[in-house]
Amino acid sequence: MNAEPMLPQTVEMYLRAYFFERTRPLLLSFGPDWTLRDVQGDASLFGIDVDAPDGGLSELKDLFLGVPVDGDHDLSFVELSGGRSAHIHLVADTDGFHLLLLDAEDARGRQRTQQQLGNEAVLAGHEKSKAISRLREIRSELERQRATLEEANALKNALIATLSHEFRTPLTSIFGYLHLLDRRGGDGAHAVQALNAIRRNATYLFTLAENLLEYGRGESGALLCAVAIDLRALAHDIEEMIRPLAEDKGLQFSVSVDVVDAAPALFDEVRVRQIAINLLSNAVRYTARGEIGAMLAWQGGRLRIEIRDTGIGISPEFQASVFKPFNRGGQSGSKGAGLGLSIVRRLIEQMHGTMTLESQPGSGTRFVIDLPPLEPVAAVADSRGGAALWVHDRDVLVVDDDPDIAQLLEALLLDLGFRVRIAADAAGAIAEARRLPPDVLLIDVEMPGLSGNAAVYQLRSQGYQGRIVTLSATSTAEAREASLRAGADHYLTKPLNVEQFVSVMQRAAQPQ
Amino acid sequence: MSAPAFKVCMLGDFGVGKTSLVARFVRSTFAPKYLTTVGVKVDSKEMLSPQGAPIKFVVWDIAGRSALDALGANYLRGASALLLVADGTREHSLSVALNLLMQSRTALPDAVVALAVNKLDLVERWEVAPTTLAEIRRSLPVFETSALSGDGVEAAFAELATRLLP
Repeated sequence: MNAEPMLPQTVEMYLRAYFFERTRPLLLSFGPDWTLRDVQGDASLFGIDVDAPDGGLSELKDLFLGVPVDGDHDLSFVELSGGRSAHIHLVADTDGFHLLLLDAEDARGRQRTQQQLGNEAVLAGHEKSKAISRLREIRSELERQRATLEEANALKNALIATLSHEFRTPLTSIFGYLHLLDRRGGDGAHAVQALNAIRRNATYLFTLAENLLEYGRGESGALLCAVAIDLRALAHDIEEMIRPLAEDKGLQFSVSVDVVDAAPALFDEVRVRQIAINLLSNAVRYTARGEIGAMLAWQGGRLRIEIRDTGIGISPEFQASVFKPFNRGGQSGSKGAGLGLSIVRRLIEQMHGTMTLESQPGSGTRFVIDLPPLEPVAAVADSRGGAALWVHDRDVLVVDDDPDIAQLLEALLLDLGFRVRIAADAAGAIAEARRLPPDVLLIDVEMPGLSGNAAVYQLRSQGYQGRIVTLSATSTAEAREASLRAGADHYLTKPLNVEQFVSVMQRAAQPQ
Repeated sequence: MSAPAFKVCMLGDFGVGKTSLVARFVRSTFAPKYLTTVGVKVDSKEMLSPQGAPIKFVVWDIAGRSALDALGANYLRGASALLLVADGTREHSLSVALNLLMQSRTALPDAVVALAVNKLDLVERWEVAPTTLAEIRRSLPVFETSALSGDGVEAAFAELATRLLP
């Protein structure tokens, strides 16, 4: 069969009319140097005015930039500057070439409708799967939060139940003995006994109150306050507080101090005292006979605290659980809120120390704590009136479009010991960080123009290795996650919590 | 003397913002509605390179597709540069762009190439990690762009100009 069929003349004429009607061909004939020689067809249909100086011919020339005109070439669905679509064929000739433009507007319209539907379906499918995945994340987050809330609620109920009992007992005792003192006046023996009882119960209430305060601070705790502590004075204070309680129960009590190192011992005195008092209170509470001893040693650049007793001890199976809040280690009938050991462990972790526990039921317990000293401190006052950790030789680039906020941040950071540079927008920050990478970048998220997150992303993708802290007015988990995903290390929210800000900036300034 | 002209092809998956980037670069406009491109749309713009030399870009906005078929390959003929475009909110579009680069290398072994990762204004929804781009940047110039705000668009073309001009 012939590939090119011999068609009757009428059919050929029909086909020719059909083709011309559908494609409305325009033929432009050029010399080899793009000189227009002839035009056949309606040029205006394609937005071309052959009589105008340029008339759209340069656009056609651009289409074949880099393409030799001595060979045939075709381009489908070319959108011309007038908006109309054409199939364009370059047909080489002996002395020049022709451009044949065939109208493709209808065909493009049909293809666009089909393509648009297909593409939109794929894009919507992508968004849908992202939304579903996000919903799954939200659901699991909600389940996690519910479990946390249930646990917190159980702890709260345990706390309330414990406290209602624990506060009442010593208060009853205190009021009772005060009543006795009041009624019996200056009877020496009775007065001493009553005062001891009052002291014992007041000490217990004091410890309980301190522990509750510490527990309420959460896992992060308060800032550590490093000062040179006088271990002998501290030991004396502890002895003054605990000895009457121990002697009241007929227990022997001793405190020893061994200061070997000449260098000052830099520790958070309140925290060290809290550890010792908690452990000694427990020792008194759980020891019926025998002795209780405490030892404080500053040697080899470490502080060692040892508390031992001859009390009821802790069974091996309870030795892990005694450090959980509201847990009394299975000592039936024991007293106390069950907070002490959990707080001791938290304080030791905060100070990067270690603790060992040795205990035999019926023979007693021995706690040994080893603490490294804190870093030297500077004169930045924290909320407790102490001194926060000073930052050395670190520079920070602060980026905020609000000059008042930028100045406030600058003042706070200068106080912490940073060297501070300021940029007023994200683009300026990127340029400055590329010129001289800062140790820490502190950047506002919501800025006009390029957002803080976009700047963070760009810097990370360009290899910036320093720490980045973002500051935002949005406190949602989603906003925080987006910022961290863009490359931030820490996310802070406005209004600024100064204590948290100081803590985060100090952490950010730590060498990586 | 007129500025030297270079053909630049925009290559990338559909919906990544190729047409919007061209509109931002050539006309400083942005249309938020997505309208798929059929075939090709050619625009041109003259600018000064960062070194101050005039250059004319003839920008081919080629319909997005995940593979260069014979029709698409025809559009590449004579191109001096490729601007690959990916959408930061769709990680898959980055692989598509890099795939298109590999396919076009046969036809255009010497073309200058840059990668524009678009939709920087939606950076909070990006799936592409900064470390991924840091890795790609070792072999390709990469620009985070926003056709909406214009961020990074001029810079991407300026980079092509620097690499195209002697």
